[in-house]
Amino acid sequence: MASQQTPLPSLEPSALTKLIESASASGNPLAATTIQILHNLQHQHLWTFLQIHDISTTSNATDPNTPDSIAFNDPQTLISGIPPHRVYTHPDEQLYMLDKGIAEDDLRPERLFVIPTAQGQKWSLRRMAAAFDSLAALEVSENEEAVSSNESVDPEKAKKLDEYYERKERARETKEWGTRRALLAMTNRGMGGEGTVVYYVVQEGDVKPRQN
Amino acid sequence: MADADEDAVRGTTVEATQIETDLSDETQDFRLLNHLNFLTDTSSSGLPRRGEKDFEPNPTEFQADVLSASRQAMHNALAHPRLHNPKNQVIAIYAPEGPPPPPAVTPGQDTGKPVARGASVSPDACVYVPTPKGQHFKSMGQADRKGVIWLLPEEALYLLERGSLDIRWPTSITGGIGEEGCEEELSIPMSLQAAYACLIGRGGLTLERFTVYSSLKRIGYAISRAPGWNDSAKAEDEDRPDAYTQPLKRGAGLAGILGSIFNWINDPKSTSSTAAGPVIGYGIHRSYADIYKKLALIPWYDPTLAPQRDPLNTTAPYRVILHVYKPNTSIKKSALPPPDFRIAVISTREATTIPTLPQLSALLESTPLDPPQGEKMERNMYMRLRHGYRNVILAVVDQGVTSFLRIADVAFGKERLYEGVNGPTGPKKGGNFKKKKKR
Amino acid sequence: MESTPTLPIPISYVSGRYLLFSVDAVTYLRREHNICGVLIGTLPQIPQQNVFLGLPLELMPEEARVLVDKDVACIVDEAKAHDGMRSLLEEDRRQYLRDLESQGQLAMRILADRKDQQREQSLKEIDEKKAKGLAAKAAKAAKAAADAQVAPESSPAPTEKEEPNSIFAGEDGTSSLSRTTGISTPAPQQALGITPTTSYPPLPHPVSASSQYLPKPEVPLSYPLFAHLHSRGYFLSPGLRFGCQYVAYPGDPLRFHSHFVVVSAEWDQEMDLMDIVNGGRLGTGVKKGFLLGGPQKRRDEVESEADRVDTVRTFSIEWAGM
Repeated sequence: MASQQTPLPSLEPSALTKLIESASASGNPLAATTIQILHNLQHQHLWTFLQIHDISTTSNATDPNTPDSIAFNDPQTLISGIPPHRVYTHPDEQLYMLDKGIAEDDLRPERLFVIPTAQGQKWSLRRMAAAFDSLAALEVSENEEAVSSNESVDPEKAKKLDEYYERKERARETKEWGTRRALLAMTNRGMGGEGTVVYYVVQEGDVKPRQN
Repeated sequence: MADADEDAVRGTTVEATQIETDLSDETQDFRLLNHLNFLTDTSSSGLPRRGEKDFEPNPTEFQADVLSASRQAMHNALAHPRLHNPKNQVIAIYAPEGPPPPPAVTPGQDTGKPVARGASVSPDACVYVPTPKGQHFKSMGQADRKGVIWLLPEEALYLLERGSLDIRWPTSITGGIGEEGCEEELSIPMSLQAAYACLIGRGGLTLERFTVYSSLKRIGYAISRAPGWNDSAKAEDEDRPDAYTQPLKRGAGLAGILGSIFNWINDPKSTSSTAAGPVIGYGIHRSYADIYKKLALIPWYDPTLAPQRDPLNTTAPYRVILHVYKPNTSIKKSALPPPDFRIAVISTREATTIPTLPQLSALLESTPLDPPQGEKMERNMYMRLRHGYRNVILAVVDQGVTSFLRIADVAFGKERLYEGVNGPTGPKKGGNFKKKKKR
Repeated sequence: MESTPTLPIPISYVSGRYLLFSVDAVTYLRREHNICGVLIGTLPQIPQQNVFLGLPLELMPEEARVLVDKDVACIVDEAKAHDGMRSLLEEDRRQYLRDLESQGQLAMRILADRKDQQREQSLKEIDEKKAKGLAAKAAKAAKAAADAQVAPESSPAPTEKEEPNSIFAGEDGTSSLSRTTGISTPAPQQALGITPTTSYPPLPHPVSASSQYLPKPEVPLSYPLFAHLHSRGYFLSPGLRFGCQYVAYPGDPLRFHSHFVVVSAEWDQEMDLMDIVNGGRLGTGVKKGFLLGGPQKRRDEVESEADRVDTVRTFSIEWAGM
């Protein structure tokens, strides 16, 4: 995997290193984390329609003049994109889909948000909550751009899917099928940081676990 | 949501809860007797059956019925009374003031008879058994000169709780030394609740310690208090600079290790030194072992050389408070053998972080050297590593839930893999390698 | 048994811990208030195992606090309450002893009856078996019936609750040192001795003197999260088994698997992201969610702990599998 460390003189910097260097000209180390995770989503997990969202203004970050690490460590960007396969299905939603004979592939892809973090970064409930609060604002505008690609299926299936989307809309309000969710992405930094990124599904509130 | 199917399934499970007790009319007069109902109901004298658990509640009657049956079974099990058959009833008396101070030693009287032996009853003992009988007193209690057995609070509470001891309030508290009868007949039985109220907190017995004690007693271990039971007990020679700061000559310590490295570097006979050249150096090497020996640059810790520490020179809760003996060992209370296990008891609400290395080291140093021995250990390196050279058991208690963790002092450095004799013998490469060699 | 004990239920404060001794209180709190506690005592009918335990029930300070805040329970200094043994009226004392005596006689009679029944039963079985020419089997049945009259000693099938005992490996867990004393039947007019479970009677119900209640239990910083989850219907138990603060069950743990390993944090408490990874992995490994949460207010920002409970936010975390 690519390395972020200063390359030895005889080696060309890797593509990722170049990417990160070019993107983090702003001098914000968190931007490097974001780029690295974006890169990982794009190339390792084959996400598409990736976007970076600046949330530094929406989050209740401390006064930007304060030079201390608190402001610096607040999540300032979110990533969103469309994964090739569904990352998470709530157990009750899964039950419904099984019941109605709906496969995951029948469903239109959904945009998923990612909170980029790096190992060693300071974290707290307040920061997690801030990221989720800014998510709320972003999701509102997101709802409109749903990609519609499944219009050509047979009418029976289309009807089922319509029912599913209706049900899903209701479940969103009642939170039956889980709550607002995001992926928490963490890249490793200690011990040389070879570029591994791990992903955890985070949902607000007590959402029962998948049984698998 | 009840439907026909559900009712069909339910039929079998509900029956048990519907069995009415034929003596229920009679028992209404006595509050306590509500708890005797089980005696009439043979089907519920057993254990609560658990069965398969569900993932989450659903609104079916079936689930509700199974749950209520489970709860009923639990209720019945918990309501089981503690009864004493007059034939083998053992009566004890609570003595809040503890045992009377031992009388002045009269020489000549003590001829080593077992009865006279136990002149030293622990001052923490607070329940005595005037006429002891039954097997429990083989491993519990201390006899005074009159042959009366004195029990420590944990022993008394354990026996009462399992229904093997009928402890009475002393009439000095409850009154009622009547002219018409002996003390036992008119004394009030101590309830389980009273026993907890009076015995927990006595003589260093915390609830956590008792929980650990009784959970091991229940499955057959014999247990005695270790010297470290008393939190404030200190090593007698504490003023003396302790063994730790004054390393024994045989002891290594960090300085010792550094010293030996230094000596080794300066060893004129050595073919090389890291200071002067390559690690392996020139010269003739007749075996790989020589080379590997040279490559062993990193100092390692040898637990056999660690200083021995007085068990009392440790800090609660990281000190051994219980000595535990395997169920099948025959134990003489007067001459206890070395214990099979040493236990420290830790409450999660008082020690919320994992112990520090100094705490654990001190605890381990206070236990005797217990190197891996035996045929199995000799054959299997992983067993040796797991066993270690000293060991202690941490009983971690979280609000009534106990976990036992065995901590061992491991010596990876003592396993010389390059010598090959006792190398790894797993199903992996080691085995293959050996086979080849044999051929 | 759908009885409601007299409220508030006295919780025994013994040497810094919270205990319940009344089986009715235990059943009631479990049924009506989702409070389970942990059973820590020996069951007298099966004393040689650690799978099923009996009274007393130990409550976490959090559980005791929730109950006191709801006015369902009060805290009683049990050692002090037992000083009341010194001031029993002679008349009450005698009455109590007479009650115990007659209960003991009744117990004896019930036992004798049951034993007769069982003897008849097993004799009948033997006859039947003999008729079928299965004498060998019948002897076995008779022996089994005889065994059944003694307090059962067989260990039940192991369940999830059983503590892994590998540290003390190599032991079969039984000992000749501790055998239950079987109850055989002497003359019917004799009374069995009884060790009562609670001290009320002969002591007067402690609730009558509310001035003697102890103050509300001191609780750890994680209390608001505990109270929040409890108010949402979860049953909570100590988290030691899963290396967390609480384990949260969606229903009575008797019947349901737990859903969450729970860890509490203060709002600005710095945490290592690695802890989230650890929790997420641990939870996923045991088919549970990792639930992280805490109150948005610090203790010095509010008047009472209850004010913090209302500000709790929680997050459920699972491994994404990618």
